[in-house]
Amino acid sequence: MKTKTLLIRYDEIGLKGRNRRHFENQLVSNIRYALRDIKNIKIDKIHGRILGRVDLTDAEKCTLRLTQIPGIASISIGNSMEPDFETMAELGVSLIHEKLQAQGELKFCVRTRRSNKAFPFTSREVDFEVGSRIMGVLSSKGLSVDIKRAEFVLEIEIGPQETIVFDNRVSGLSGLPVGSSGQVLSLLSGGIDSPVSTFKLINRGCRVHSIFFDNRTFLGRGGYDKVVRLAHILNRFQGGGKLYVVPFQDIQVAIRDHCTDSNRVVLYRRMMYRISHALAELKNYQGLVTGESVGQVASQTLKNLMAVSCVVPMSVLRPLIGMNKQEIITHAKQIGTYEISIEPQPDCCSVFMPDHPGTSCKIKYLEADERLYPWEELMSSALNSVETIDLDGLD
Amino acid sequence: MIYLDNAATTAISPKVMDVLKESMESDFANPGTIYSIGLDAKKKVERAKQDIITALNIPSTHKIVFTSGGTEANNLFIKGFCLSGKKVAYLGLEHPSILEPLAYLGSLGNKPLSLLEYQTEGRLDLKQASALSKSQSRLLCLSHVNNELGTVNDPVLVFEALHVNSPDTRLFMDGVQAVSSMRISSKVWTGLAAYSLSGHKIHGPKGIGLLVYDSKLAITPSIHGGRQQDGVRSGTLPVPLIRAMARAIVLAVERIDEMQDHFNFLHNRLVQGLCELNEQLPELNIRFNSLVIDDLQKQSPSIVNFSFAPVEGEVLLHHLEEKNIFVGLGSACSASSKKPSKILTGIGLSEEQARCSLRVSFSGNNTIEDVDLLLKEFSVAYQALYPIFKDKYSRN
Repeated sequence: MKTKTLLIRYDEIGLKGRNRRHFENQLVSNIRYALRDIKNIKIDKIHGRILGRVDLTDAEKCTLRLTQIPGIASISIGNSMEPDFETMAELGVSLIHEKLQAQGELKFCVRTRRSNKAFPFTSREVDFEVGSRIMGVLSSKGLSVDIKRAEFVLEIEIGPQETIVFDNRVSGLSGLPVGSSGQVLSLLSGGIDSPVSTFKLINRGCRVHSIFFDNRTFLGRGGYDKVVRLAHILNRFQGGGKLYVVPFQDIQVAIRDHCTDSNRVVLYRRMMYRISHALAELKNYQGLVTGESVGQVASQTLKNLMAVSCVVPMSVLRPLIGMNKQEIITHAKQIGTYEISIEPQPDCCSVFMPDHPGTSCKIKYLEADERLYPWEELMSSALNSVETIDLDGLD
Repeated sequence: MIYLDNAATTAISPKVMDVLKESMESDFANPGTIYSIGLDAKKKVERAKQDIITALNIPSTHKIVFTSGGTEANNLFIKGFCLSGKKVAYLGLEHPSILEPLAYLGSLGNKPLSLLEYQTEGRLDLKQASALSKSQSRLLCLSHVNNELGTVNDPVLVFEALHVNSPDTRLFMDGVQAVSSMRISSKVWTGLAAYSLSGHKIHGPKGIGLLVYDSKLAITPSIHGGRQQDGVRSGTLPVPLIRAMARAIVLAVERIDEMQDHFNFLHNRLVQGLCELNEQLPELNIRFNSLVIDDLQKQSPSIVNFSFAPVEGEVLLHHLEEKNIFVGLGSACSASSKKPSKILTGIGLSEEQARCSLRVSFSGNNTIEDVDLLLKEFSVAYQALYPIFKDKYSRN
């Protein structure tokens, strides 16, 4: 079976100092996990690069999966070979030939990166030697050299152990490898924003678990099904995630029945934060993640954000806080959650939404409202009924 | 599980399933081919068609075209008959598979005439049929049995009214909800330009329906291709689905008297039970949107639609769902909007009232115990929800 070499590059990890090895090892481990079902695969770490050896037939599939792993800047599928000009040029000719035949004319160049300083030729010299050999074969068929406007770039990496020749680069997610930044808990709804905020933290190296507040007695099971699908998609970027489903209808009914109308939404959110915090403490997660963005809805004014955050002694991470809706939508489309998020599904029954939600709820009045219903008892009951879904198990 | 949303779809009948399985295994050949197994498949389609013709008393003046379901049958006829610019009228209480093709015609400049002002009790007031003549409408589109209300436009009575007052207007009826509870006699066809049916509403498979139309009429095809079915609807015929639907139609017609009695029994029990609850619970204010009468020319007994403001139908539906009882919304929201459909508002309910409704629809699988349990759980859920909703809407 013919093998291919996957050349896996990372960017941000390369900027790390003495703990760089920790990040690299985490990335290698994540890559091995993501490709664990691929036969005959071998992953090696060489200076500044990760190399994967795979059967030719698996190369495309592996590359696609690698584009979903945070920490990887780009991937190329290449051929490992001896740094011999004739062999490299021969491969170049075979790669260029098909394209040239289709187009009739083609501008190309060779770009070499030489990390093996013991190799007796400079990068420029390699470019010239290989390029001129290719021109010798194909110039009469319409091939020309154009370094600035090349339509085809033959890339050569001459490393200490091996040389790789390739003609493609696929962008990755960049960011940091999952597991390098700890674990957090994201408040996930069926909307557009919270899946994006969850992804943002995954892409910063966190393993992100999700929590969903379910009111199926009033809203049906559609919201739950939608969130499970969203969490499943998001977990493909990390693996190992869990979704916690908390029954929330009793709390919503109690707040609706006992508290000031205009405070309701903030009171719901204070309870969501408290329950999330309790669960995060229990599971040793180090922060909460929300999809809030300043001013987007009544509960997301600066005053209301404060009124909600102050109930939890824990970092509340809000990666979307300064983004506008269109930017968030663009991200949601990129990560593949948008189409699910916009499926029609009630996220709050009209009976629970006040006609005029307050935009600057005062903490002392919120606390006064909370003295009117047994929130501690209801919270404890909700926490005792949490459903835990192992997202890897849904694959 | 208690399933009381049979106007949405029905469970496939075991006898139909037997035909479907057998046919899926054996009838793979394309009935449009000229070798023996293709000819055998074609023969089976013809046999199924004959069974449908016999069961529904379809005269030789009318032709059957198989479609993917009721929606396609309605689209095929409305667009196929009126794209040339013929004027068309409708009551305004029809299923979206009629309203949307009409809106499409409207977007092309052929604005359909709504007769909503002439609706009475969810049906067309036949005294007003002369309005069609004045507007020179060539086609009137109506539901035989309304999908949300169960109210009936009797095809024979409508035709008689058209014949006298607007003889140039032909009648098209959506029969998707009708076949399980309405007998289709041979005289029904005298006045019908076309009639549509769907397999899955009568314990048949999904993905198959049919249009019966007067063969004198020229219909412009919507789907072009291999010119199957005389070019009116191209596409390889799905032999197993056609055979299974034919079986479902035959079974429905065979049991029609028994089913009418059964539906009447369940309908009366539900209506009576709701009236009793209305007496017992001072906070309950039931309004029947369907007609509460024993008259098949006006109301199908298989559907009961009722409102109970201020509690929202959707929330009550989910409370019943928790007890494993499945009913329909009284006013179905479209897939993309939270606005209630136009049927309940069309008969005079406010949007709020329309939201506070449920539709219960029966099949032969339902029992009196199902109805009793529904009534019990409805009462429990309503009493639990009333305090939550009472401030939300002013009572109507």
